[in-house]
Amino acid sequence: MASHGLDYDGCNFFRQRLVLSTLSGKRVKIRNIRSKDDNPGLRDFEASFIRLLDKVTNGSRIEINQTGAVLFYQPGLLYGGSIEHDCNLQRSIGYYLEALLMLAPFMKNPLKATLRGITNDPTDPTVDRLKSTVLPLMKKFGIEGEGFDLKVMKRGMAPGGGGEVVFTCPVRKTIRPVQLTDSGKIKRIRGVAYSVRVSPQMGNRIVESARGVLNQFIPDIYIHTDHMKGANSGKSPGFGLTLVAETLEGCFLSAEMSSTPQGQGDPVLPEDLGRNCAKLLLEEVYRGGCVDSSNQSLALLLMTLGQQDVSKLLLGPLSPYTIEFLRHIRDFFQIMFKIEVRKPLEDERKGGDKVLMTCVGVGYSNLNKSLK
Amino acid sequence: MEHVKEQRKHQQKHSGPKAERKKLKKQGNSTEKDERKRNPKAFGVQSAVRMAKTFHRAQDIKTKKHHIPLVDRTPLEPPPVVIVVVGPPKVGKSTLIRCLIKNFTRQKLGDICGPVTIVSGKKRRLTFMECNNDINTMIDLAKVADLVLMLIDASFGFEMETFEFLNICQVHGFPRIMGVLTHLDSFKNNKTLRKTKKTLKHRFWTEVYQGAKLFYLSGMVYGEYQTQEVKNLGRFISVMKFRPLVWQTSHPYLLVDRMEDLTDPEKIRTDLKCDRRVSLYGYLRGTYLKNKSQIHIPGVGDFQVAEVNFLPDPCPLPGAQKKRALNEKERLLYAPMAGVGGVVYDKDAVYIDLPACHAQQEEIRPSTELVQSLIDTHATLDAKMAASKVTLFSGSATLDSADVNGHMEERIWDPISHRERRKVIFTEEADDDKGDASDSSENEDSDIEESDAEEQEDTNENGAGGMRETSDHGGPTVKKRKLEEEKDVTGAVAELPVFADSEDDLEMSEEEGDAGRAADSGHCSEEDEDEEESADEEMDDDDDDDDDDLSKEEEEGALRWKDRLQQKASEAFLRQQEAMPNLRKLVYGSADSKEEDDSDDEELGGLFRVNRPQKSRRFQANALDCSHFNPDSSHNWDLEEMLDSIKDCFVTGKWEEDQDAATLLKEHDEMYGDFEDLETGEVHKGNNESDEDGDAEEAPTTADDDDVQKNKRLDKKRRLKERFDAEYDDGDATYFDDLKEEMQKQAELNRAEFEDLDDETRVQYEGFRPGMYVRLEIPSLPCEFVANFDPRYPIIIGGLGSNEGSAGYLQMRLKKHRWYNRILKTRDPLILSLGWRRFQTIPLYHIEDHNGRHRLLKYTPQHMHCGASIWGPITPQGTGFLALQTVAGINANFRIAATGVVLDLDKSVTVVKKLKLIGYPYKIFKNTCFIKGMFNTVLEVAKFEGAAVRTVSGVRGQIKKALSTPPGSYRATFEDKLLMSDIVFLRSWCTVSVPQLYNPVTSLLLPVGQKDSWSGMRTLGQLKHDLGIRNKPNPDSLYKPVVRTEAHFNPLHIPKELQKSLPYKSKPKQQQRKGKRPRDMQRPSVIREPHERKVAALLQALSTVHNYNTKKAHAVQHAKHKEFLRQKEKDEEAKLKRQKEARKNLYRIMGQKDQKKQKSSLKGTPKD
Repeated sequence: MASHGLDYDGCNFFRQRLVLSTLSGKRVKIRNIRSKDDNPGLRDFEASFIRLLDKVTNGSRIEINQTGAVLFYQPGLLYGGSIEHDCNLQRSIGYYLEALLMLAPFMKNPLKATLRGITNDPTDPTVDRLKSTVLPLMKKFGIEGEGFDLKVMKRGMAPGGGGEVVFTCPVRKTIRPVQLTDSGKIKRIRGVAYSVRVSPQMGNRIVESARGVLNQFIPDIYIHTDHMKGANSGKSPGFGLTLVAETLEGCFLSAEMSSTPQGQGDPVLPEDLGRNCAKLLLEEVYRGGCVDSSNQSLALLLMTLGQQDVSKLLLGPLSPYTIEFLRHIRDFFQIMFKIEVRKPLEDERKGGDKVLMTCVGVGYSNLNKSLK
Repeated sequence: MEHVKEQRKHQQKHSGPKAERKKLKKQGNSTEKDERKRNPKAFGVQSAVRMAKTFHRAQDIKTKKHHIPLVDRTPLEPPPVVIVVVGPPKVGKSTLIRCLIKNFTRQKLGDICGPVTIVSGKKRRLTFMECNNDINTMIDLAKVADLVLMLIDASFGFEMETFEFLNICQVHGFPRIMGVLTHLDSFKNNKTLRKTKKTLKHRFWTEVYQGAKLFYLSGMVYGEYQTQEVKNLGRFISVMKFRPLVWQTSHPYLLVDRMEDLTDPEKIRTDLKCDRRVSLYGYLRGTYLKNKSQIHIPGVGDFQVAEVNFLPDPCPLPGAQKKRALNEKERLLYAPMAGVGGVVYDKDAVYIDLPACHAQQEEIRPSTELVQSLIDTHATLDAKMAASKVTLFSGSATLDSADVNGHMEERIWDPISHRERRKVIFTEEADDDKGDASDSSENEDSDIEESDAEEQEDTNENGAGGMRETSDHGGPTVKKRKLEEEKDVTGAVAELPVFADSEDDLEMSEEEGDAGRAADSGHCSEEDEDEEESADEEMDDDDDDDDDDLSKEEEEGALRWKDRLQQKASEAFLRQQEAMPNLRKLVYGSADSKEEDDSDDEELGGLFRVNRPQKSRRFQANALDCSHFNPDSSHNWDLEEMLDSIKDCFVTGKWEEDQDAATLLKEHDEMYGDFEDLETGEVHKGNNESDEDGDAEEAPTTADDDDVQKNKRLDKKRRLKERFDAEYDDGDATYFDDLKEEMQKQAELNRAEFEDLDDETRVQYEGFRPGMYVRLEIPSLPCEFVANFDPRYPIIIGGLGSNEGSAGYLQMRLKKHRWYNRILKTRDPLILSLGWRRFQTIPLYHIEDHNGRHRLLKYTPQHMHCGASIWGPITPQGTGFLALQTVAGINANFRIAATGVVLDLDKSVTVVKKLKLIGYPYKIFKNTCFIKGMFNTVLEVAKFEGAAVRTVSGVRGQIKKALSTPPGSYRATFEDKLLMSDIVFLRSWCTVSVPQLYNPVTSLLLPVGQKDSWSGMRTLGQLKHDLGIRNKPNPDSLYKPVVRTEAHFNPLHIPKELQKSLPYKSKPKQQQRKGKRPRDMQRPSVIREPHERKVAALLQALSTVHNYNTKKAHAVQHAKHKEFLRQKEKDEEAKLKRQKEARKNLYRIMGQKDQKKQKSSLKGTPKD
């Protein structure tokens, strides 16, 4: 049978390519992975990601050449089930979890993934952020029900790690189209200020400063302080804050900030962190949309994989990652989004321009789910 | 005797209650009311139980009618309905199609070749396709049919083909089926005709459904069916509704009605067997088709589409007009394969079919004129194009290929963009266009608008010329638009940007710099980001108001922070218009960049093109893969201004007018009018007066405000109605209704969303939508496809889903068809029709054990489902399939071997079969044995350590440990001591691999006339039969004469110990006969003296007498004692009686006393 594939250069947007390849069944070949680098080839965290993909699929073919600069990936079928994975410490669990969230609803068996590694670090979306924004987002697409959960069992900060997360997700045959064109007004702000292996007072200091910024907009703010001790506190000290703004329509915008890993960069004061994080949330609110900037791609993917109906989604400005994701979606699924810019009105004070994304789903159905 | 008894005539009643009632009825003003009211008792409740039962039943029936509501995805202009005419040979299929076509279009078609599309009504088009007797054709057509006309020769009865086709339909989703009985004139006897009709009807009903329509065509007149009957049939067809079938609605497909070979003739000359580049045409059906998607052509194979284009509809529906019937010009007929259709347009060519069989066409159509004025040569396309000349209007000059192609280009220097523009000029329009060009250079409108205007002109001109027929939306217009788009692309001669906005200029200049970077580069350059941000946060970038930076273009369009308040309103609309393509270009690159890519980018597997990144951006290729979107550094969230800009995002901010609490409250007031607050005594007035005031004020204002007011009123009305509906309907609204409403809303949205876009853009978003006439270009079809092309065999292009192009293991549920007279053997090749595909594969049959194990079966069960695992194309679960053992030739028997459904898809399977390993003990200890012969190496044993083993006699044991010598032997323990003659075996399950055979049935590639003779891999049985191989039977299975040996029984031996413990009864009675006593042990006999003898006799006599006496005395004594006992008993009885009497007396007295005492106590104490 004439099977066909795609070719890419460089390890940029590595996850997008492999995830879309797995979902579309198209094989992918990535060349010149850091070929000009002093240390060419795949990094450990990428190798770990491939290993994770191998664990959740059945019959995938992965070929890497000797230098590691060329990767060939022929996807198998998503199998799911109960898996355990020790994530590489170069990236946090969020890196792996973001991809897993995209794949989880399309497995053969409901997924129960135990991921170990760094739960919170400044580069990737933290587990707390994913828990508070992605799960409600996926519920809008009809992925819900018993066993749809993300639990932080242990918290592990960079660089030592030692955290543990359990992600469970049920299986769906089809995804519902959505019409999210109105984000609604923000009714409450929630958050988690976490600290491990530092003084528990840190959390309170973060909360205090963050509230100072946000209180001028809305009084309904509750930031929970989460101080984990003992075995649950991982191997490195650190603290951070995740803020989530919930709107009347049930959309979640979030911002987060973590302390710099121990021994890397300048240490930050909890007060500064709280204030900056609050400002980040304001930035996120300014951008607006029904989905926050880091989850844009997931929402667009689920729209693409919906029934052959029109889905609409209002987003803030597209992030570079999302733009690339849109291009990849076109490569893998031949789906183009209708992109309309919505300028704010004259006297409206609702932040910047918004983008209305419209598409017709491919009519994707979960081929892995068995019929009994 | 001619006297016939006269019957009394009926006397109409003229008086009395009955007559009066009738009179009233006639007058129409019957005083009697509804029967329920007139006779309430008859409708009263007789039994509550019965009523509940009837209610339940009614509800059951009601809910049974529900289907899961689906989103209605039928396009506004649906594709023609596919009507497949099926039947055994010589039943009248072609005649029926011919009659129906004549009925609808008043045209006669000689030979029915390929699909024939006609316009049958204002809203319906039909495509007729004849299905020949080949089972491959039947299978293919059953998958695409909307309606099946099943012709049955009534004089013969049902034939096997009819039932085969019905079963094929059942498997692949049941299209509408209408039976048509023909050859009814062969019945001479009316009664047999009626009987036959009835039996055939009932048999048909059991197959399709009770009450399925069966049509009767009674006889032929001059080789055609009767006009009236055909007309009736046509009416049935044109009002018929069709059900959406799952497979059809989820896959795009085409019934190809035209085929063109585009291969370079030179290539064919040098290599006759080279792969052909072919374009296929047809109406797209089912669902959206994406460009570059994967397709399957049943009978040929899987291919990748190189290009899809939509063409003007060759058989369009008439425009909207209010009249009942179609006029003659609108009754179109399109059948290129049958040699009808006149001029056919392609993307880059015009094809002309000179009519060969228009024998009795009464009307000379304008197209014919056109046709005749064209010169058709069998040359290459280019040559053909160059040579052909068309006279569009009978008087005008000829139009040569250059005109058709629109290649009259004029280069114009554009002073604004400082670039050279190439203007496409058509000979007829040259003057207008020049005017246009100058116009456009002045007012810088968007190109889209411009082209629209031109298009308008085109159509106007065509209309004026009276050339409406086929060239209405024909080649030239389309061509021109194409070219205009191409202008953007042709990289060498740089182009004027479509939009003169700053952003666009920026982008275009960038594109000039690195043409071809745009589309698939896989990189998001920094420029992109910057630009994007500038597009989005344009208003806020007050930081960089550095005057030096502002280029000329920016001055023109970009808005600056300081004067934004003034300019914003005026420019808002403009930007709204432009922002969309800008962002679209940013994300997807310019729409036509692909053609550009062709030149310099390498192709991957001939399918995809990937843009190579520029050298300077190499480092980007390996950037950090992170979904974080870093915040804009220009936003300073300490500033009051910034904080103010998001104030309304919170519930505490200002609300929209229609959601504002104050407005809502006001509305509420309006709705409910005045009320008085009783507690405070305040009187709230509805604001009628103010409204009036407002009206008075607004009266002089413009009509614009009126509209606004009207809209507001309508809006309010709608809201009120919604509220009313919500209050009163929601009581009955069930889950089902809600679901239906939701689906309805989605369907409306689907229709409305892309409605106002032009087709070119729309196609990019949605894909090609069903109903479009499309052209698919396939680059590498086998040459046999073209060489052995036979229009009588349908070519179907079935679109495949994203994952359906690959192969894997399929687990299916299968049942041997009950009319197939053999069972199927595992590993015998089978031809499956699954999805679009027909292929040969090797199934393994299995059955699921209670513990979920799939156990291999050697044969399919007779009357039961079993599992089947194959290696084949990934097809969605729930898809039905049918299996055949052979597709070649005609078989007397029913050909469908099995049917089933796909259950599961995977990349591995676990079908197991039982494996018994046998070993022999070679040394036996107490319960331990050494066993050999089961394994060959120590390693093998190690794998099975701890496994359970058993002997034939049922002694269970366990493998303990391997022994070093002999290799493969091991120590095992058993629950009992084994014998050397015992056989030990180990039961295990071994996985069976499914053979990876996928052999598509390439029946369309066979030479003409042999297309029904495809044969693939032979079954084992066939192979043996063909090669004359006969298996040697197992000698053990052969019958031999029975030789019976005499049975010999050994004597039973009971061990002595056991004998001892046996009870005497069961002890073997085998005392030996007493031997002779030895003489010394024998006693001497005594001989008495006579005296002694006398004494002894006397003593004997005396003792006898004594014995007698004692016996007698004893008897007497016994009797006496008995008497005594009786007496004693009697006395005892008497005594007891006496005592009882005495006691009775005593108690009576005591009772009396008590009574007295009680009585006295009740009376009171007696006075003593």
